[in-house]
Amino acid sequence: MSIQRALEMMAIPSVLITTDKEQTHMGRPSRAFSPKGFKIGHSVGKPGQKELHKKVIKDALSLLINPIEPGKIAEREYPEYHEL
Amino acid sequence: MEISRLCIPYTPFTGKLEESKVALVSTAGVHLKDQPPFILDGDTSFRIIPGNVESRDLMITHGHYDHSDADKDINCVFPIDRLRELAQEKFIGSVSEIHISMGYTQAFREVREKTIPEIVKQIQDSRADITLMTGG
Repeated sequence: MSIQRALEMMAIPSVLITTDKEQTHMGRPSRAFSPKGFKIGHSVGKPGQKELHKKVIKDALSLLINPIEPGKIAEREYPEYHEL
Repeated sequence: MEISRLCIPYTPFTGKLEESKVALVSTAGVHLKDQPPFILDGDTSFRIIPGNVESRDLMITHGHYDHSDADKDINCVFPIDRLRELAQEKFIGSVSEIHISMGYTQAFREVREKTIPEIVKQIQDSRADITLMTGG
């Protein structure tokens, strides 16, 4: 059982930010967000990309307000990730 | 009755983000510099990270992903400073008094039976409304 699964079973809503969409998809996440093309180790962006970090977190948390089907992973492109 | 592993547990969020307390739960191997490091080839324990931690007092012990950038800025995988900023901006209500971190493990049974229930208890006791989860 994943941590997310256990949290959701105890009525604690969760959002998982993943940089490994394929692996996360196999685990059937309750609520997951993937910033497209981010490397493992860059969950919310590269060092110092403060505004991008916040944008990714806001988009992930927004899944709580605008949910998608459990098991699916919301994705978004962030061109600024590749600028540094 | 056991829930099928094909079933996906899902708790709808009925609150408001701007009133919610957010806790980080990470498997990126983050811990305080003065906490015991994770065992690199497998560790089922977890660390409690205090909510008022200075991000410079955190480090990563994890041998299964490239954390060289996160070593420079822990927020890459454990965005504690960003959560504080989002609380100041009133996008979220507050940052939890505790956060949870794990390292690398393949001992899934032990994690399932021992570690995860303890983590869930910590989060429940913290009264966090939401958990934001990150991997490596």
